[in-house]
Amino acid sequence: MTHPDRRIVLIPAYNEEPTVGSIVCQVRQLWRCPVVVIDDCSTDATAQVARAAGATVLPLTIQLGAWGAIQTGLRHALRHGYHTAITLDADGQHEPQDIGALLQPLAAGEADVAIGAFPERASRARRIAWSYFRWLTGLQLEDITSGFRAYNHAAMAVLASREASLIDYQDVGVLLILRRKGLRTVEVPVSMQPRALGASRVFRSWWIVGKYLLQTSLLCIARVGLNPSPPAPDD
Amino acid sequence: MITYQLTSMAIGVSLAIVILFLVRRDHLHGPYAVWWIGAAATVALLGFFPRLFDVLALKLGISYPPILAIVLGFSMLVVKILTMDLERSRQERLIRRLAQRLAMLEAQAPERSDASSQPSDTP
Repeated sequence: MTHPDRRIVLIPAYNEEPTVGSIVCQVRQLWRCPVVVIDDCSTDATAQVARAAGATVLPLTIQLGAWGAIQTGLRHALRHGYHTAITLDADGQHEPQDIGALLQPLAAGEADVAIGAFPERASRARRIAWSYFRWLTGLQLEDITSGFRAYNHAAMAVLASREASLIDYQDVGVLLILRRKGLRTVEVPVSMQPRALGASRVFRSWWIVGKYLLQTSLLCIARVGLNPSPPAPDD
Repeated sequence: MITYQLTSMAIGVSLAIVILFLVRRDHLHGPYAVWWIGAAATVALLGFFPRLFDVLALKLGISYPPILAIVLGFSMLVVKILTMDLERSRQERLIRRLAQRLAMLEAQAPERSDASSQPSDTP
Protein backbone atom coordinates (compact mmCIF):
# COMPACT_ATOMS: atom_id res chain seq x y z
CA MET A 1 0.00 0.00 0.00
CA THR A 2 1.35 3.45 -0.88
CA HIS A 3 0.45 6.88 0.48
CA PRO A 4 1.46 9.32 -2.28
CA ASP A 5 0.19 12.35 -0.35
CA ARG A 6 1.34 11.24 3.05
CA ARG A 7 4.70 12.02 4.52
CA ILE A 8 6.69 10.77 7.40
CA VAL A 9 9.07 12.57 9.73
CA LEU A 10 12.27 10.80 10.73
CA ILE A 11 14.25 11.86 13.78
CA PRO A 12 17.58 10.16 14.54
CA ALA A 13 18.28 10.40 18.25
CA TYR A 14 21.15 9.60 20.56
CA ASN A 15 20.65 10.53 24.22
CA GLU A 16 18.14 13.27 23.46
CA GLU A 17 15.76 12.52 26.32
CA PRO A 18 15.28 16.20 27.35
CA THR A 19 14.24 17.43 23.88
CA VAL A 20 12.91 14.54 21.77
CA GLY A 21 9.47 14.40 23.41
CA SER A 22 8.58 18.03 22.75
CA ILE A 23 9.82 17.84 19.16
CA VAL A 24 7.71 14.77 18.45
CA CYS A 25 4.67 16.51 19.96
CA GLN A 26 5.27 19.70 17.98
CA VAL A 27 5.62 17.84 14.68
CA ARG A 28 2.53 15.75 15.31
CA GLN A 29 0.45 18.79 16.28
CA LEU A 30 1.61 20.93 13.38
CA TRP A 31 1.73 18.37 10.58
CA ARG A 32 -0.45 15.47 11.72
CA CYS A 33 1.88 12.95 10.14
CA PRO A 34 3.59 9.89 11.61
CA VAL A 35 6.85 10.53 13.41
CA VAL A 36 9.55 7.89 13.63
CA VAL A 37 12.39 8.24 16.11
CA ILE A 38 15.40 6.09 15.37
CA ASP A 39 17.09 5.42 18.68
CA ASP A 40 20.83 5.06 18.00
CA CYS A 41 21.62 3.03 21.14
CA SER A 42 20.82 5.79 23.62
CA THR A 43 21.73 5.14 27.22
CA ASP A 44 18.99 7.38 28.58
CA ALA A 45 15.19 7.19 28.20
CA THR A 46 15.08 8.67 24.67
CA ALA A 47 13.10 5.70 23.30
CA GLN A 48 10.53 5.69 26.11
CA VAL A 49 10.03 9.48 25.94
CA ALA A 50 9.62 9.40 22.16
CA ARG A 51 7.17 6.50 22.36
CA ALA A 52 5.17 8.28 25.07
CA ALA A 53 4.99 11.36 22.83
CA GLY A 54 3.39 9.26 20.11
CA ALA A 55 6.35 8.39 17.89
CA THR A 56 7.15 5.01 16.44
CA VAL A 57 10.57 4.04 17.78
CA LEU A 58 13.08 2.02 15.76
CA PRO A 59 15.60 0.79 18.34
CA LEU A 60 19.01 0.10 16.80
CA THR A 61 20.93 -2.69 18.49
CA ILE A 62 24.31 -1.33 17.45
CA GLN A 63 25.24 2.32 17.10
CA LEU A 64 25.21 3.29 13.42
CA GLY A 65 25.64 7.07 13.70
CA ALA A 66 23.28 9.73 12.38
CA TRP A 67 23.33 8.56 8.77
CA GLY A 68 22.84 4.86 9.64
CA ALA A 69 19.88 5.88 11.79
CA ILE A 70 18.35 8.00 9.01
CA GLN A 71 18.80 5.20 6.50
CA THR A 72 16.94 2.89 8.90
CA GLY A 73 14.11 5.41 8.89
CA LEU A 74 14.15 5.67 5.10
CA ARG A 75 13.95 1.90 4.74
CA HIS A 76 11.06 1.84 7.22
CA ALA A 77 9.30 4.63 5.29
CA LEU A 78 9.68 2.83 1.94
CA ARG A 79 8.45 -0.41 3.45
CA HIS A 80 5.32 1.33 4.65
CA GLY A 81 4.67 3.06 1.35
CA TYR A 82 5.51 6.67 2.21
CA HIS A 83 6.58 8.91 -0.64
CA THR A 84 8.10 11.83 1.23
CA ALA A 85 10.43 11.75 4.21
CA ILE A 86 11.52 14.69 6.30
CA THR A 87 14.50 14.38 8.61
CA LEU A 88 15.28 16.67 11.49
CA ASP A 89 17.55 16.59 14.49
CA ALA A 90 16.30 15.59 17.92
CA ASP A 91 18.17 18.35 19.77
CA GLY A 92 15.64 21.09 18.99
CA GLN A 93 17.72 23.19 16.61
CA HIS A 94 15.28 22.73 13.70
CA GLU A 95 11.89 24.41 13.73
CA PRO A 96 9.06 22.00 12.83
CA GLN A 97 7.04 24.88 11.32
CA ASP A 98 9.73 25.21 8.61
CA ILE A 99 8.85 21.74 7.26
CA GLY A 100 6.32 23.44 4.96
CA ALA A 101 9.07 25.49 3.32
CA LEU A 102 11.10 22.31 2.81
CA LEU A 103 8.21 20.47 1.18
CA GLN A 104 7.42 23.28 -1.25
CA PRO A 105 10.15 22.57 -3.87
CA LEU A 106 9.31 18.86 -3.76
CA ALA A 107 5.60 19.49 -4.25
CA ALA A 108 6.35 21.85 -7.13
CA GLY A 109 8.54 19.21 -8.77
CA GLU A 110 11.53 21.53 -8.67
CA ALA A 111 13.75 19.21 -6.66
CA ASP A 112 14.10 15.68 -5.30
CA VAL A 113 15.78 16.77 -2.09
CA ALA A 114 15.35 20.01 -0.16
CA ILE A 115 17.89 20.98 2.47
CA GLY A 116 16.98 23.40 5.23
CA ALA A 117 20.00 25.70 5.24
CA PHE A 118 21.11 28.10 7.87
CA PRO A 119 24.79 28.71 7.08
CA GLU A 120 24.99 31.58 9.59
CA ARG A 121 24.92 29.04 12.43
CA ALA A 122 28.31 27.68 11.46
CA SER A 123 31.50 28.35 13.36
CA ARG A 124 34.54 29.63 11.49
CA ALA A 125 36.11 26.14 11.43
CA ARG A 126 32.95 24.61 10.04
CA ARG A 127 32.72 27.26 7.31
CA ILE A 128 36.28 26.55 6.28
CA ALA A 129 35.47 22.82 6.12
CA TRP A 130 32.40 23.50 3.97
CA SER A 131 34.34 25.75 1.57
CA TYR A 132 36.97 23.07 1.27
CA PHE A 133 34.38 20.37 0.44
CA ARG A 134 32.62 22.67 -2.03
CA TRP A 135 35.94 23.18 -3.79
CA LEU A 136 36.71 19.46 -3.73
CA THR A 137 33.33 18.23 -4.96
CA GLY A 138 31.94 21.12 -6.99
CA LEU A 139 28.74 20.97 -4.93
CA GLN A 140 26.95 24.32 -5.01
CA LEU A 141 25.42 24.12 -1.53
CA GLU A 142 25.90 26.46 1.40
CA ASP A 143 24.99 24.22 4.34
CA ILE A 144 26.49 20.82 3.57
CA THR A 145 25.94 19.20 6.96
CA SER A 146 22.35 20.26 7.70
CA GLY A 147 20.26 17.35 8.96
CA PHE A 148 17.01 19.19 8.19
CA ARG A 149 16.01 17.72 4.84
CA ALA A 150 13.07 16.50 2.80
CA TYR A 151 13.42 13.60 0.37
CA ASN A 152 10.98 12.51 -2.32
CA HIS A 153 10.40 8.87 -3.21
CA ALA A 154 13.19 8.68 -5.82
CA ALA A 155 15.72 10.10 -3.37
CA MET A 156 14.49 7.82 -0.59
CA ALA A 157 14.93 4.77 -2.81
CA VAL A 158 18.49 5.76 -3.75
CA LEU A 159 19.50 6.50 -0.18
CA ALA A 160 17.92 3.38 1.27
CA SER A 161 19.97 1.19 -1.08
CA ARG A 162 22.96 -0.93 -0.11
CA GLU A 163 25.19 1.54 -1.93
CA ALA A 164 24.48 4.16 0.75
CA SER A 165 24.98 1.80 3.70
CA LEU A 166 28.73 2.34 4.08
CA ILE A 167 28.41 6.11 4.36
CA ASP A 168 29.46 7.30 7.80
CA TYR A 169 28.27 10.90 7.81
CA GLN A 170 25.06 12.50 6.66
CA ASP A 171 26.61 15.07 4.35
CA VAL A 172 29.00 14.99 1.41
CA GLY A 173 28.74 11.24 0.77
CA VAL A 174 24.96 11.43 0.65
CA LEU A 175 25.01 14.52 -1.59
CA LEU A 176 27.47 12.88 -3.97
CA ILE A 177 25.29 9.77 -4.34
CA LEU A 178 22.28 11.99 -5.07
CA ARG A 179 24.22 13.92 -7.69
CA ARG A 180 25.55 10.75 -9.26
CA LYS A 181 22.01 9.41 -9.62
CA GLY A 182 20.94 12.62 -11.33
CA LEU A 183 18.70 13.80 -8.48
CA ARG A 184 18.21 17.51 -7.90
CA THR A 185 19.04 19.09 -4.56
CA VAL A 186 18.01 22.61 -3.52
CA GLU A 187 18.56 24.61 -0.39
CA VAL A 188 15.77 26.37 1.41
CA PRO A 189 16.66 29.08 3.93
CA VAL A 190 15.26 28.22 7.35
CA SER A 191 15.58 29.56 10.86
CA MET A 192 17.55 27.53 13.35
CA GLN A 193 17.69 27.47 17.11
CA PRO A 194 20.98 27.16 18.95
CA ARG A 195 21.57 23.54 19.88
CA ALA A 196 19.54 23.13 23.05
CA LEU A 197 21.74 20.58 24.77
CA GLY A 198 24.79 18.54 23.88
CA ALA A 199 27.14 19.13 20.98
CA SER A 200 27.63 18.05 17.38
CA ARG A 201 28.71 14.44 17.11
CA VAL A 202 31.26 15.37 14.44
CA PHE A 203 32.63 18.76 15.52
CA ARG A 204 33.35 17.79 19.12
CA SER A 205 37.09 17.13 19.14
CA TRP A 206 40.06 17.82 16.92
CA TRP A 207 40.76 14.12 16.55
CA ILE A 208 37.24 13.41 15.27
CA VAL A 209 37.30 16.49 13.03
CA GLY A 210 40.61 15.33 11.54
CA LYS A 211 39.28 11.83 10.93
CA TYR A 212 36.12 13.26 9.40
CA LEU A 213 38.04 15.61 7.07
CA LEU A 214 40.38 12.84 5.95
CA GLN A 215 37.64 10.25 5.32
CA THR A 216 35.39 12.71 3.55
CA SER A 217 38.23 14.07 1.40
CA LEU A 218 39.06 10.53 0.32
CA LEU A 219 35.42 9.88 -0.47
CA CYS A 220 35.27 13.05 -2.62
CA ILE A 221 38.49 12.23 -4.48
CA ALA A 222 37.41 8.62 -5.06
CA ARG A 223 34.15 9.83 -6.62
CA VAL A 224 35.76 12.32 -9.03
CA GLY A 225 34.69 11.74 -12.63
CA LEU A 226 31.76 9.45 -11.84
CA ASN A 227 28.95 10.51 -14.14
CA PRO A 228 25.31 10.77 -13.13
CA SER A 229 23.35 7.57 -13.66
CA PRO A 230 19.60 6.90 -13.32
CA PRO A 231 18.23 5.99 -9.88
CA ALA A 232 18.42 2.33 -8.90
CA PRO A 233 15.22 0.32 -8.33
CA ASP A 234 13.77 0.16 -4.82
CA ASP A 235 15.73 -1.75 -2.23
CA MET B 1 75.27 -29.83 11.00
CA ILE B 2 71.81 -28.69 9.99
CA THR B 3 71.66 -27.71 6.32
CA TYR B 4 69.77 -24.80 4.83
CA GLN B 5 67.45 -27.24 3.07
CA LEU B 6 66.59 -29.03 6.32
CA THR B 7 65.69 -25.77 8.07
CA SER B 8 63.62 -24.67 5.10
CA MET B 9 61.86 -28.07 5.01
CA ALA B 10 61.08 -27.96 8.72
CA ILE B 11 59.59 -24.46 8.51
CA GLY B 12 57.59 -25.25 5.36
CA VAL B 13 56.21 -28.55 6.60
CA SER B 14 55.35 -27.21 10.09
CA LEU B 15 53.44 -24.29 8.63
CA ALA B 16 51.63 -26.56 6.18
CA ILE B 17 50.68 -28.97 9.00
CA VAL B 18 49.29 -26.15 11.18
CA ILE B 19 47.22 -24.80 8.28
CA LEU B 20 45.90 -28.24 7.32
CA PHE B 21 45.03 -28.91 10.96
CA LEU B 22 43.05 -25.65 11.18
CA VAL B 23 41.21 -26.38 7.92
CA ARG B 24 40.41 -29.95 9.02
CA ARG B 25 39.09 -28.65 12.36
CA ASP B 26 36.78 -26.27 10.47
CA HIS B 27 38.38 -23.17 11.99
CA LEU B 28 38.82 -21.63 8.55
CA HIS B 29 35.80 -20.86 6.40
CA GLY B 30 35.79 -22.17 2.79
CA PRO B 31 37.26 -19.32 0.69
CA TYR B 32 39.91 -18.56 3.32
CA ALA B 33 40.79 -22.25 3.58
CA VAL B 34 41.50 -22.36 -0.17
CA TRP B 35 43.95 -19.45 0.15
CA TRP B 36 45.71 -21.00 3.12
CA ILE B 37 45.88 -24.49 1.59
CA GLY B 38 47.58 -22.83 -1.39
CA ALA B 39 49.95 -21.03 0.97
CA ALA B 40 50.69 -24.29 2.81
CA ALA B 41 51.41 -26.12 -0.47
CA THR B 42 53.71 -23.30 -1.66
CA VAL B 43 55.61 -23.13 1.62
CA ALA B 44 56.04 -26.94 1.72
CA LEU B 45 57.21 -27.05 -1.92
CA LEU B 46 59.74 -24.29 -1.38
CA GLY B 47 60.81 -25.96 1.84
CA PHE B 48 61.71 -29.13 -0.02
CA PHE B 49 63.18 -27.36 -3.04
CA PRO B 50 64.68 -24.07 -1.79
CA ARG B 51 66.82 -23.89 -4.94
CA LEU B 52 63.65 -23.18 -6.98
CA PHE B 53 64.08 -19.52 -6.16
CA ASP B 54 67.67 -19.52 -7.40
CA VAL B 55 66.50 -20.83 -10.79
CA LEU B 56 63.55 -18.44 -10.95
CA ALA B 57 65.63 -15.42 -9.87
CA LEU B 58 68.22 -16.22 -12.51
CA LYS B 59 65.51 -16.33 -15.21
CA LEU B 60 64.07 -13.02 -13.97
CA GLY B 61 67.46 -11.36 -13.91
CA ILE B 62 67.60 -10.93 -10.13
CA SER B 63 71.17 -11.22 -8.89
CA TYR B 64 70.34 -11.91 -5.23
CA PRO B 65 67.69 -14.72 -5.20
CA PRO B 66 66.50 -14.44 -1.54
CA ILE B 67 65.17 -10.94 -2.28
CA LEU B 68 62.78 -12.50 -4.81
CA ALA B 69 61.29 -14.67 -2.04
CA ILE B 70 60.92 -11.64 0.22
CA VAL B 71 59.33 -9.44 -2.45
CA LEU B 72 56.93 -12.19 -3.57
CA GLY B 73 56.01 -13.08 0.01
CA PHE B 74 55.45 -9.43 0.89
CA SER B 75 53.29 -8.90 -2.21
CA MET B 76 51.14 -11.89 -1.34
CA LEU B 77 50.70 -10.54 2.19
CA VAL B 78 49.59 -7.17 0.83
CA VAL B 79 47.08 -8.91 -1.46
CA LYS B 80 45.81 -10.95 1.47
CA ILE B 81 45.41 -7.91 3.74
CA LEU B 82 43.63 -6.03 0.97
CA THR B 83 41.15 -8.86 0.42
CA MET B 84 40.64 -9.05 4.20
CA ASP B 85 39.63 -5.37 4.29
CA LEU B 86 37.36 -5.90 1.29
CA GLU B 87 35.69 -8.72 3.15
CA ARG B 88 35.45 -6.60 6.32
CA SER B 89 33.78 -3.82 4.35
CA ARG B 90 31.31 -6.29 2.88
CA GLN B 91 30.55 -7.61 6.34
CA GLU B 92 30.23 -4.08 7.77
CA ARG B 93 27.60 -3.30 5.14
CA LEU B 94 25.76 -6.52 5.96
CA ILE B 95 25.89 -5.89 9.72
CA ARG B 96 24.59 -2.34 9.34
CA ARG B 97 21.68 -3.44 7.18
CA LEU B 98 20.95 -6.33 9.50
CA ALA B 99 20.85 -3.96 12.51
CA GLN B 100 18.51 -1.68 10.55
CA ARG B 101 16.21 -4.54 9.68
CA LEU B 102 16.22 -5.72 13.28
CA ALA B 103 15.21 -2.21 14.42
CA MET B 104 12.35 -2.22 11.88
CA LEU B 105 11.17 -5.62 13.08
CA GLU B 106 11.41 -4.59 16.74
CA ALA B 107 9.29 -1.53 15.99
CA GLN B 108 6.55 -3.86 14.78
CA ALA B 109 6.51 -5.65 18.13
CA PRO B 110 7.47 -3.00 20.72
CA GLU B 111 5.93 -4.84 23.65
CA ARG B 112 7.99 -7.93 23.01
CA SER B 113 11.19 -5.93 22.46
CA ASP B 114 10.58 -4.02 25.70
CA ALA B 115 10.11 -7.31 27.49
CA SER B 116 13.23 -8.79 25.93
CA SER B 117 15.33 -5.74 26.90
CA GLN B 118 14.54 -6.30 30.58
CA PRO B 119 17.26 -8.08 32.54
CA SER B 120 16.43 -11.70 33.02
CA ASP B 121 17.65 -14.34 35.45
CA THR B 122 17.27 -17.11 32.93
CA PRO B 123 20.11 -17.63 30.46
